[in-house]
Amino acid sequence: MPASTATRVLDGRVPAYDEALSPDEIIARVEASGLRGRGGAGFPLARKLAAVRANGAGGDTFVIANAYDADPDSPLSRALLQRNPDAVREGIEIAAAAVGARRRFLYLRPDAEAPDWGDDIEVVRGTGGFMGGEETALLAVLESRRAMARQRPPYPAQQGLGLRPTLISSAESLAWLPYVLSGAAATTKLVSVTGSVERPGVYEVTLGTTLGAILDQAGGVTGTLKGIHVGGPTGGILAASRTSTSYGFDELKAAGTHVGSGQVRAIGGGVCVVNEASKLFAYLAQETCGICVPCRVGTARVTGILQGITSGLGRNEDLPWLDELAGHLNAFSLCGFGISSASIIRTTRAEFPEDYRVHIEEGRCPTGTCSVTRARRYETMVQP
Amino acid sequence: MSILERYTGPSEAQIPTVSHHGEIPSGQPTCTITIDGQEVTAVVGEAILRAAQRAGFNVPTLCDDEKLAPAAACRMCLVEIEGYDRPMPSCHLPVEPGMKVTAASDGLFAMRKQNLEYILSDHNAYCMPPCQISCPTHIDIPGYLDLMAKGQHVEAARLVKDVLPFPYALGLVCPRPCQEVCRRGLVEEEIAICQCHGYTGEMVMEMDQAPTPFPQEPATGKRIAVIGAGPAGMTAAYYSALKGHAVTVFDMMDKQGGILRYGIPEYRLPKVKLDKELNCVWQLRDTEFKGGMMLGRDFSVEDLLSQGYDAVFLGIGAWKSNEMRIPGEDLPGVIEAINYLRGNAEGEPVPVGKGSKVVVLGGGFTTFDCSRTSRRLGADVTVVYRRSRKEMSAHYSEVDDAEHEGIKLEFFAAATRVIEKNGRVGGIEFQRMQLGEPDASGRRRPVPVPGSEFVIECDTVIPAYGQYPNLDWYERDPGIRKSRRETIVTNGAFMTDRPGVFAGGDAQMGAVTVIECVAQGKLAAKAMDRYLAGADMAKVAEEIAEEEKVPELIDIVPYKPEEPQVRMPFLPFEERVQSFQLIENGYDKAGAEKEAARCLQCVCPDVGRCHLQRLSVEHGLTENRFHRAEPVDYHDYEYDFSHDFILRDLNKCINCTQCVRICRDVIGANCYGLMGGGYDSIVTTPWNVSLSYTDCVSCGACAETCPTGALMMRERDLQTYELDIVRCIYCGDCVEVCPHGALGETPNFELSTYRRFGVTVLAKEELATARTWKPSEHIPTNGDGHGPVRPPEIRPPGPPRWGA
Repeated sequence: MPASTATRVLDGRVPAYDEALSPDEIIARVEASGLRGRGGAGFPLARKLAAVRANGAGGDTFVIANAYDADPDSPLSRALLQRNPDAVREGIEIAAAAVGARRRFLYLRPDAEAPDWGDDIEVVRGTGGFMGGEETALLAVLESRRAMARQRPPYPAQQGLGLRPTLISSAESLAWLPYVLSGAAATTKLVSVTGSVERPGVYEVTLGTTLGAILDQAGGVTGTLKGIHVGGPTGGILAASRTSTSYGFDELKAAGTHVGSGQVRAIGGGVCVVNEASKLFAYLAQETCGICVPCRVGTARVTGILQGITSGLGRNEDLPWLDELAGHLNAFSLCGFGISSASIIRTTRAEFPEDYRVHIEEGRCPTGTCSVTRARRYETMVQP
Repeated sequence: MSILERYTGPSEAQIPTVSHHGEIPSGQPTCTITIDGQEVTAVVGEAILRAAQRAGFNVPTLCDDEKLAPAAACRMCLVEIEGYDRPMPSCHLPVEPGMKVTAASDGLFAMRKQNLEYILSDHNAYCMPPCQISCPTHIDIPGYLDLMAKGQHVEAARLVKDVLPFPYALGLVCPRPCQEVCRRGLVEEEIAICQCHGYTGEMVMEMDQAPTPFPQEPATGKRIAVIGAGPAGMTAAYYSALKGHAVTVFDMMDKQGGILRYGIPEYRLPKVKLDKELNCVWQLRDTEFKGGMMLGRDFSVEDLLSQGYDAVFLGIGAWKSNEMRIPGEDLPGVIEAINYLRGNAEGEPVPVGKGSKVVVLGGGFTTFDCSRTSRRLGADVTVVYRRSRKEMSAHYSEVDDAEHEGIKLEFFAAATRVIEKNGRVGGIEFQRMQLGEPDASGRRRPVPVPGSEFVIECDTVIPAYGQYPNLDWYERDPGIRKSRRETIVTNGAFMTDRPGVFAGGDAQMGAVTVIECVAQGKLAAKAMDRYLAGADMAKVAEEIAEEEKVPELIDIVPYKPEEPQVRMPFLPFEERVQSFQLIENGYDKAGAEKEAARCLQCVCPDVGRCHLQRLSVEHGLTENRFHRAEPVDYHDYEYDFSHDFILRDLNKCINCTQCVRICRDVIGANCYGLMGGGYDSIVTTPWNVSLSYTDCVSCGACAETCPTGALMMRERDLQTYELDIVRCIYCGDCVEVCPHGALGETPNFELSTYRRFGVTVLAKEELATARTWKPSEHIPTNGDGHGPVRPPEIRPPGPPRWGA
């Protein structure tokens, strides 16, 4: 379906829908629409609604609209709240009706502008930082604790706020609810196109559009395209040859990355991908919540190895080592933060072997842009 | 925006109550799960880890405490579960009927090992100081360096003398096994450990403040004969005398010191100062030196026993040189190394002088003592060794110094024959060697290269191939066995086959280093003390073996800002020719204290109890790949030792959050939390203030649950306490919460608890000005079983003082 004819949340008006639907009917309709969560993982929203409703068993449940925009370069929720706040509000009310929630929350960045919705929907603000958008860290913030992830299961739909079943969904997913109930199909996704494109910004694209088409929608790439970084800080970097990859939950997963924060970043020809990976990991090491070992120490150690390579201290054995650490991050991390960060190593290693090779074997940066950031690399110490 | 209610945390989730002692209490609903192919009965709703632990599976964990809600932070207990796409933390996931769990697999093992490597890479600490382990006497090196850095040199010397009576002499002559393993060397350069105790020893000696490690014990009435006034004998004499035994030291030489005096040249150890230090033995009660008495010539072991000595220690050293076993070794001009050194030390004329051409054979300490002595006598000296410089057993600094002093070094050459010229030595023929396979000592065996013979012309040859004990007296003393290497055989408690006769040092081991002899002297003194008390010597031997066992340790990445070693001032090389002046000029006070302060204090009181250490050993973590990078890669926290009961060392914290949970959920004080951000996250108090400024109730639960040494109970010896008498209500709470029972043991507080039963026996002023009594001390009473009641007095400002 071409984008022009599809229902669009970004500038559409909230359609009329049957407000007298019973909770079961709402859930059935959402399920029929196949609406998948827009928060990045693409989990079917109907299953979440049904789980919260079933676990609530008539007791207290909560609905939290996550409009946090954890990735600073992907202001999707802010754009949505600016251009179609009513859809978000209606969506929250529909979800609350479906799960029988008494209290509804809108979760924002500390600096975001809050819509004036009166007292019906409580506006709460995170403490800032990338981690604040993670759903269990979000719960911790609402419970007056440090924004830290906690182990799932139990999922928030089983034990959420105050240990009660809680529906946590992105503002974008919830905004689709009134449309879905009115019979429209949820076929688009907000993306933030950044990097070396003519007109960076938030765009609404049809799921299934190719990455190349998304970049074209933003005015096309300025200069040459070297790679496409998809999914925000924990997302992988795909080679320029992957422009024909479709933008969709399953397609991106197959390509080694994920929808994530909805960011699609064009990386220009003059950029060293090893340096990009190292900058991403340095950011992650600074943003990790610090609770689990693989993520707290692992991101810092991977940063160190990558910086060693960009500083001309790399060795061939660093590459299998990075793969090993990526496997560990992926398998042993507590939340999606550490688990998905492995994709940065895996995609850059698979798609840009030349950048790594030139750094290590020729001792220079393939683009001449890396500077020396460290004088010492990690060395192995063997116990005497 | 509405104000959020503060919801209950997940810690209050319902956790099934289960006995964890291998049994499931009756009435609990159970189900069956499979762990590693074995069917296990589990309580419905409990964590997989609980069920696994009850069934005897060793699932590693560092953040789990059954009292606490799970955190799943350490990621060590992750297990594979059928139906899950990734490993799940078993401490967190409840069992479900029919669950199939893999708790141990190669993949999980590797992942857990990686996890431990991560943890250790940011665990800026060490189990036990490697220096202390590698030193044969096991001096508390971090301890004395810490005292030195604080300027407390007498106390530092006291700590050293606890195991090493002669810190000055050893500071000069020890080959420093401690420094080779010093972890400061991983940062930049090792600590000058020996030179530091050398300084301290010299300082207290010159100021006549040399301490004893503990007061000499009352006389026991037992007599010990020590034969040999060398390092082993003098050490044994020192500690035996301190234990209250009467000690007589016999020596074949007229003066004390043995090899220290007659083997080690003046330029390495000045004999005036050596005497002063050794005199600490004679300053003890009931000690006596009998010089010029040689075993076998003047008396026998039998004689001593019949003279009423209760124990005899044979510290006779190794005074016979190994022979060359080549043709021509009997020619005039071939001289015995140890005799040569002795003669020179005694001021006798020696056959080396200006213009002599001397060849010294060997690569040990004696080799260099002989060659450097000859050089100082004006000779032209060549040292010839069969292997390379690396294999020399002499300390590398000595080899380097010898070369700088103008001694020629020749490697990979073995003497084949001594060449005669005019009836005496005219030269020596060598054959080139190359290194072959390693031999039993681990050093590569030299193999001759055929046809590579060459000759070095000389007039004196000093073979220094090592020494062995002189056991000529042996025939006369039945019951003492000797080995094939001509050493005295003892059991693990240093007792020979003859009860009451002990042996140690070179005589027992063959020629070794001074420090090894001191270590044996110390252990032998201990064994003799136990023998004289009637202990079972087999048991004593076991005890000694247990104490000397090297613990399994995990070395991890140290991080400290770099600070180079304070250089020892040395006598310039040009001034060393023809001068026997001491070459090490010694540190000054500031230099010694600065050097001591470089110590990383690699010492952890939690060693042996630490779960991180145990798991690391279990996972065979012998290397760490995240070592020696930039400062930003590691954390170097300040200690918080300000709290009266709890010591906090954040460098050892692994962010398991057990203390956070126990303090919040069990104790209720909520003193800890994860602070900082990202990689710099660390469990500490709010704003990282001293624990004293939190709501801490000193219960010690955090220290008890801490899996590492990050939180430790402070060892306390309560001498005085401060009490605000205006506010004390004699509630006795302090007595009850005191984790050490220390307050309960004080008479005043015990009495104060009477107040609760309506009896006032003590004025507040008494409580405030009273002192604590040690359990062994007599507590004065006024006849009715209570403390002396004095009239109330106005307390002066400041902390109360007892006895005022």
